[in-house]
Amino acid sequence: MNRRNFLQSIFAVLLAAPFALLFRRTKSALPGTLWQIDPSKCIQCGQCARACILRPSAVKCVHQYAACGYCLFCSGYYHDQRHKFDTAAENLRCPVDAIERTYIEDPYFEYKINEDKCIACGKCVKGCAEFGNGSLFLQVRHNLCKNCNQCHIAAVCPAGAFVRVPASRPYIFKHAGEAK
Amino acid sequence: MTTFFLAQARFPAPEFETYRLPELVMEEAVFDSSLLRAGLLLLFLFGSGYCFYRRRSRKALLLLHLLGLAVFGFLLHACPCPVGIVQNIAEAAATGAPLPLAYLLLFTLPLLCALFCGRLFCAGACPLGALQELMPGKKFRLPPALDRFFRLGAVLVLLLVLVCTVAGIGFPLCRLDPYLPIFLRSFNHPYLWLTVVFLLLGLLLSRPFCRYICPYGVLLRLFSLLAWKKPVITTHDCINCRLCQQSCPNNAIIAPESAASPAQRKRGLRRLELLLASIPLALALGGFLGYAAAPLLYPLHRAISLEQKLQQRAEPELAVEAFEKSQQPVTELSAAADRGRRVIRTGLTLSGLLFAAWVLAELLAQARRRPEEDIHCIDQTLCLCCGRCYQACPLEKPRPSQPDRRT
Repeated sequence: MNRRNFLQSIFAVLLAAPFALLFRRTKSALPGTLWQIDPSKCIQCGQCARACILRPSAVKCVHQYAACGYCLFCSGYYHDQRHKFDTAAENLRCPVDAIERTYIEDPYFEYKINEDKCIACGKCVKGCAEFGNGSLFLQVRHNLCKNCNQCHIAAVCPAGAFVRVPASRPYIFKHAGEAK
Repeated sequence: MTTFFLAQARFPAPEFETYRLPELVMEEAVFDSSLLRAGLLLLFLFGSGYCFYRRRSRKALLLLHLLGLAVFGFLLHACPCPVGIVQNIAEAAATGAPLPLAYLLLFTLPLLCALFCGRLFCAGACPLGALQELMPGKKFRLPPALDRFFRLGAVLVLLLVLVCTVAGIGFPLCRLDPYLPIFLRSFNHPYLWLTVVFLLLGLLLSRPFCRYICPYGVLLRLFSLLAWKKPVITTHDCINCRLCQQSCPNNAIIAPESAASPAQRKRGLRRLELLLASIPLALALGGFLGYAAAPLLYPLHRAISLEQKLQQRAEPELAVEAFEKSQQPVTELSAAADRGRRVIRTGLTLSGLLFAAWVLAELLAQARRRPEEDIHCIDQTLCLCCGRCYQACPLEKPRPSQPDRRT
């Protein structure tokens, strides 16, 4: 072994040593992680609609029916400054008509999010959280999300509500009453 | 189904007679491709090794680039890639964040490859590089000194990225990567103008991002410093025609130099003495500049900027609103801000020192005694394995597919 080879092997060992240490860390997280919104931190600022590299955003509004009050005058559905409780666009909170309302029985209505239309502006979420049960909330939909290494919404989220979750449990649900 | 928190039950759910609650359908995550990516990366490294060392063919390398662009770039949309994983590694090492095994493999394989046989990763396995390599247009060769100066940019980027990641500012590289919007097919990307700038630059310069920005390239340079197997332009006696040197747009070919005259030698020695004497000053300057630059990064840090906004209280701000809603104690926030400031300050000071040391090392390397060989050889730390010099060398063994240029 000449001097050059000797130096080479020392150099190689020195460079490789830190990775051996890092290998110990990897075992805990084999499956990888995904981005998700923690609904308890979300303040519905509207960045989810704007900052995602996809348009429309990979974030969508989710309706957890089990927590819904099925109200006739839904504060997620109707605008604060509505003139009438009818289905005219000026009275509705959703700017893209993504909330579909169907009559069930007097005086209850079911509210369903049309995800093809939803742009994740969070307006209905805010309304529902302020006056209602908070059964509407925003979630990153993993069939749409590209799972960027650095999520662009996470970088601008003023509430720090974007967290990394294990891929085996990719959604964070709101929950009221008994588990479903 | 994970963590829960209680929603306000202002309106209890009604009891319906016939109506059943609709099932909440949440899609599973799309297939996690990172392990597959690591496997493919290994294959591509072997492929580029074969094309570069065995076949010695630029055509084959370009084909491999095309394949790499299609597979890693457009099929697997380039993310995560080894370049960005630099940040995951730094984060995991500094904060103990989880690091998937596939990420570590993606990061280590090209470096190990560089340790043994040069920067083969840059020749086919990197979609960012492939996009630049396949750019048409005449590539201008910058003067070597200017090229070396611009290459310092990559070192600076690496250090900045490390400081940002460790301080918890996020992954700046993934946000600013100019080629990522193309692979993600995102046309409302906030930094789309960078994409345009780098694509236009790629028409004039060979691999502008790889040479002047890529922080992973700096690591590859370091690892290939003492590579076992090195590319050789020709196994015949070099006739010093300089065709290979002119063909290399990356300034990676070292031309033979005639022995220095005594006067030149004396001047060189004087310069070396000056350089050696200025080491402490340069290091101090680097460290000081890093320390002084720390406040520039403060506004990017969440806790620090939030603390500032809380103190100013000029107008209601979303971040302040969120902070108040979270009911986190202010002391906790200011502790986090202090920690952030400390990390940024020490990180940037260290970065300044390291950067100064890098510049000094490059200058000192210029001062070493020249090898006595009178042939053109490749500097494997700068060589991006494009194969242009093989093509240009008149002594390259003719292949059946190529006409014999010697006759």
